[in-house]
Amino acid sequence: MPSSASNPVWRRLRADRAAMAGLAVVVLLLLLAAAAPLVTALEGQNPTAFHNELIDSATGGVPIGPFGGASARHWLGVEPGTGRDVLARLVYGAQVSLSVSLGATVVQVALGTLVGLAAGLGNRLADTVLSRTMDLTIAFPGLVFAISLMAVVPGSFPRPVLLMLVLGVLGWGGTARLVRGQALSLRSLDHVAAARLSGARSWRTARREILPGLAAPVITYAALLLPGNVTAEAGLSFLGVGVRPPTASWGQMLSGATTWYQADPTYVLLPAGLLFATVLAFTLLGEGLRTALDPRAKSRLRRTRSRRSRQVAST
Amino acid sequence: MSKSRAVAAAAGFALLAGLATACGGGAAKGSATAAFDPATCQGGTLTVLAQQGQGKFDPAELYTSGGGKVPTLVFRTLTTRDHTTGGPDGAKVVPDLATDTGEPSQDATVWTYHLKAGLKFEDGTPIRSADVKYGIERSFAPELPGGPPYLRDWLIGGEQYAGPFKGADLPSIETPDDSTVIFRLTKPEGDFPYLATATQFAPVPRAKDTGTDYQKHPISSGPYVVTSNDNGKSMVLERNPYWTRSIDDQRLACPDKIVYTSGLDSAVINQRLAASSGDDARAVSGDTDIDAGILARLNSDAELRSRVTTGYFGATQYLAFNPTVKPFDNPLVRQAISYAVDRQSVINAVGGSAVAKPATTFLPDQPAFGYTPYDYFPSGPSGDPAKAKELLAQAGYPNGLSITLSHATSQTDIGPAVAAAVQEALGKAGITVKLDPSADDDYGTRTQLPSSEPGFFISGWGADWPSGGPFLAPIFDGRQILTAGGNFNSAQLNDPQVNAEIDAANKLTDPAAAQRAWGQLDAELGKQAWTVPLYHPVYKRLVGKDVKNAYVSQWNGVYDLSRISVK
Repeated sequence: MPSSASNPVWRRLRADRAAMAGLAVVVLLLLLAAAAPLVTALEGQNPTAFHNELIDSATGGVPIGPFGGASARHWLGVEPGTGRDVLARLVYGAQVSLSVSLGATVVQVALGTLVGLAAGLGNRLADTVLSRTMDLTIAFPGLVFAISLMAVVPGSFPRPVLLMLVLGVLGWGGTARLVRGQALSLRSLDHVAAARLSGARSWRTARREILPGLAAPVITYAALLLPGNVTAEAGLSFLGVGVRPPTASWGQMLSGATTWYQADPTYVLLPAGLLFATVLAFTLLGEGLRTALDPRAKSRLRRTRSRRSRQVAST
Repeated sequence: MSKSRAVAAAAGFALLAGLATACGGGAAKGSATAAFDPATCQGGTLTVLAQQGQGKFDPAELYTSGGGKVPTLVFRTLTTRDHTTGGPDGAKVVPDLATDTGEPSQDATVWTYHLKAGLKFEDGTPIRSADVKYGIERSFAPELPGGPPYLRDWLIGGEQYAGPFKGADLPSIETPDDSTVIFRLTKPEGDFPYLATATQFAPVPRAKDTGTDYQKHPISSGPYVVTSNDNGKSMVLERNPYWTRSIDDQRLACPDKIVYTSGLDSAVINQRLAASSGDDARAVSGDTDIDAGILARLNSDAELRSRVTTGYFGATQYLAFNPTVKPFDNPLVRQAISYAVDRQSVINAVGGSAVAKPATTFLPDQPAFGYTPYDYFPSGPSGDPAKAKELLAQAGYPNGLSITLSHATSQTDIGPAVAAAVQEALGKAGITVKLDPSADDDYGTRTQLPSSEPGFFISGWGADWPSGGPFLAPIFDGRQILTAGGNFNSAQLNDPQVNAEIDAANKLTDPAAAQRAWGQLDAELGKQAWTVPLYHPVYKRLVGKDVKNAYVSQWNGVYDLSRISVK
């Protein structure tokens, strides 16, 4: 990120306190995930070792001690039923959650931009076919399809990559529609028409004249897609079709925590809180990016809102 | 029966319905303090909360152990489990419709039963021996699948018989008069009285048989009749006017009405029973053990503790080896794994020491099965990785080895939690375990088909009745290797000496002698390490606060609904 005050986007973003808080949390989470081996080494634990001595088998495996068995050796306590270190599983889970959701977003944006451009700049037939395909993917019950896809792919295929692909392939429709609309309005602009009239090929026109104009809306849309992907990954793992044990993921921890919400609330609150913070941070950052990249949007939004409230007041 | 079948059957026992609303709202006020008295226990509505439905409520299709929980309220059978006690005697067979548990011929190939006098169906017509014969014959009809496989195997002509709907009867069931039934078997079966507890031995009047629709309203021979039945998902049972205690010494039939509701989440069932508000005060769990949420509260809550009942169902969860897959053909590798397993982690993974006991024998640790203690590969509670490494070195794997463990994907006792516990323990012994999950239905099909059977997987076995025979024979009898699927002889063991010992034990009609024989066979098989027994489940179940005389049968680990009072 360029720190020069001359960049107006960065300046506007910096003025948005909520977005900056979101950005700080996102950076912190990324650092935590990247440094997972370091964090666990510092704590002296690993995410897979069982600790039978730290849980009370007679009461179903509740961690011994308050706050989920938190201690100097296990900073955030241990997992009920196994005694595995919660902090280690959370930071390794962050690796899975963040890499899957980032990867899925990249796939969604890449596919969506490609298809959207082709629809917006292609001939009428291509536009019709591609637009109906977009409608189909948007209307498709993605979760149901993802569950069945995850279940039929052989177990030898790496699960995080599979999750990325499945979420990506099912979720590009929105981006494509957005890009198509933008491309349609951009292509009628003078500089694009000039490029086309001067004989540039459509691929070159797309790359040189249209793509730069798409950057702002696509980046914004991607930032808003990402938190959706975080929850989608957690949801699939929660349902038992996501990453597989002993690999940790937040969704899986939450799934395991459903029976423990009374006996060991700490174990529920930690992954849930982290998931909440991640989604909130990315959403705030996305909103901030949107207004920073398109300053007019803010005032436009404000205007629509006040108009709507006037209407409500008058009825 | 397999564990999954056992669970289905246990759910099967559960049964009855979602309409438990109106009546009895304030009926039980203050009555919780009064002691239980069978003479004045009648009245009220009992609600059964269950996760799974009953399925088809046809006595030919139900697969129960000891007559089941809900089925035993509607179907009386020639013999039944002892309903009258929650103690170890609950694992004994007692007469039900018959006057005794059966008279065997010298070599136990012919069994004769006499019906009690005065038995009636729900419409008042007397129960005759022909009705019992017809009920069993129906279970052979391909239109009515399900039920235990033994009848087909044991009765002469059973292999070819296709049921009574096309007019043929089964000559090996004789009814010389209205109160006598004689069974002729292909081989000696000392356990026949146990099999006669199955719902297939319930009388069915031929005139009232509606074929596949019979399950909607089966004709009752027990204390309750089915008055509403939504495909077994929810059911309502009400009193049978032609049943009295004078012709049935096993069932008390206290509630006027029994309502069965299924499709509930296990946590929901436990929370509703713990809260005991409204009708839930007079409810029991159909198929649900208490979970960690309840367990954690028991120490500090004496009232809640008094409402938890413990029971046993002969069952063993184990790791199965398929010695046709390398390296599991090597006994040293199997032994090394036996030493390395951490049973405490496995038990914690399924809910802790309150709901599971470590197992080192294949037979459940109840005398009725012929339990003979042994522990050939002592690994303590948490495994002996050093000893395992030593054996691996002897087996030619001084640097450890890599194996694959297959398991089911659902969060059950054959699921990922147990697999991860095994993986972690074997890792300490230098055995790298790769997990191979498959969806539950696929998993069952795969592990029960010899041609696709994985080398190393999680399995479980539950008893059809409390005896060593149905526990050991399906797993270790070479003649029970089913190449077309449904195979539970996972070691694909076909040892003539083992087969001969199974035949010899099956001939014994004296339970004590049979127990010794099965126990000895289990101890011999244990040395070969064909399986790694992990644990025996313990059932801990909760009842609503106004439920009285609730105990769990030692035969099948479920509440005996025929003895419970809610008044």
